[in-house]
Amino acid sequence: MNILSSLEGSSFSMWLLGSNSIWAYPTVLTLHTFGMMVLVGASAMLDLRLLGFGRGIPLDSLKTLFRVMWAAFYLNAVTGTMLFAADATKRGTSVIFLVKLLLVVSGVVTIVLIKREVYGKNPAPVTVSSTAKRLAIASLLVWSAAISTGRLLAYVT
Amino acid sequence: MLNHFPTIGTVLGLGLFLLSFVRKNDHLTKVSLEVFFIIGLATLPVFLSGVAAQAALKDSPGVSAEAIATHENAALLAFILIEITAAVAWLGLWQIRRLARPTRTNLATLLVLSVVTLAVMAWASNLGGDIRHPEILTGLYSTPTEGTAASGGGWLSTAAITSFVLEHPWVWPTSETLHFLGMSLMFGVLLIVNLRLLGMLKTMPFAAVHRLLPFGILGFAINFVTGMLFFIAAPEQYTENVSFHWKMILLELAGVNFLFLTVFDGAWSLAPGDEPSLADKIIAASALCLSVGVMYFGRMLPFIGNAF
Repeated sequence: MNILSSLEGSSFSMWLLGSNSIWAYPTVLTLHTFGMMVLVGASAMLDLRLLGFGRGIPLDSLKTLFRVMWAAFYLNAVTGTMLFAADATKRGTSVIFLVKLLLVVSGVVTIVLIKREVYGKNPAPVTVSSTAKRLAIASLLVWSAAISTGRLLAYVT
Repeated sequence: MLNHFPTIGTVLGLGLFLLSFVRKNDHLTKVSLEVFFIIGLATLPVFLSGVAAQAALKDSPGVSAEAIATHENAALLAFILIEITAAVAWLGLWQIRRLARPTRTNLATLLVLSVVTLAVMAWASNLGGDIRHPEILTGLYSTPTEGTAASGGGWLSTAAITSFVLEHPWVWPTSETLHFLGMSLMFGVLLIVNLRLLGMLKTMPFAAVHRLLPFGILGFAINFVTGMLFFIAAPEQYTENVSFHWKMILLELAGVNFLFLTVFDGAWSLAPGDEPSLADKIIAASALCLSVGVMYFGRMLPFIGNAF
């Protein structure tokens, strides 16, 4: 727990939580929300297409979305680490927070698996395998659960 | 004057709608559906300002708190009906784009809804007039034992919604969670549609991605319902909150933008590989900026404004 409390006591953490500036905590939190919206939104569109909605969308045209998702993921890894540092002793010992982290990791894994399953063998696939469909459902569920636990963190002390 | 807009607009929309049947004019049908959608957008600030006015007026002398509550509950019902009408009209517009004409079911539903809406709205307006014009009252609200604001209107009243949200500790966090999920779904649709219009997912025909628009409306519906729960339960957090004002202004503009994405011809004909026009790109960029702006001012409600 020593690491957690020294992290929380660092001058960066003190600034993030203590500053009245709109550029401190509010902006970092908003960027985290923005990254979440982009990452989960883009991933949901890919999932919906794999599940058969918007069949006219060629699968290879969606490959650009992976770059969008990774950019959003990196943004949230950075802003998430900042938010964690500011509140390390509380978050580091919270079960809900650990579950959220696990869900985020699982969400990223589903995206990687989907990319491998759909585009691994053929860069311009036409059909969607049943494995890809199952992964799409898993991805939708896992990201919804990750958002739910993340939101819950604001209410559980 | 703002408060008369929904009634006048609905009369106009219904008039055009009926005329389009008489004339058998598809173009007129489309215009009337657009009118219904715009009224849905315009009624949101009317309702929000009504709730704000109720908070300001209820303690002033010469007005009956009960007359206000009765009007407010009638207005709530009218508001819900208008928004459902707008959603059905949007679906009709989406069908026009895809199938050249709306389905019969859609038109029949819209006809029934708009007539019922107009009736409820006339009733609500009449009750609203009672507040400021007590001279036309006939002792309707004179007896305080008639019932308090909390008991009027049954389960579909602002008072009942307020106590439902505030008395159950799980309602607010659950609604917030749904609000975030709805936001992600809605933004995902806007992202993919507008990236195509910006020329980034070029191998995608626009007509194919147009197919996903109803998921955007689904996301919006989730956020509309949960957002109204927050607003009705704790209006004091929002009515004077400058962040909320900006959020609503950008939301209205985003709504107009969404109507444009649904119906306009320019993008619809984009085949795989086609470069979008400059106008398409400007519309797409503004749609993305507006939706990020709505998220920004929503997230900033506690920081720029005074919520929570």
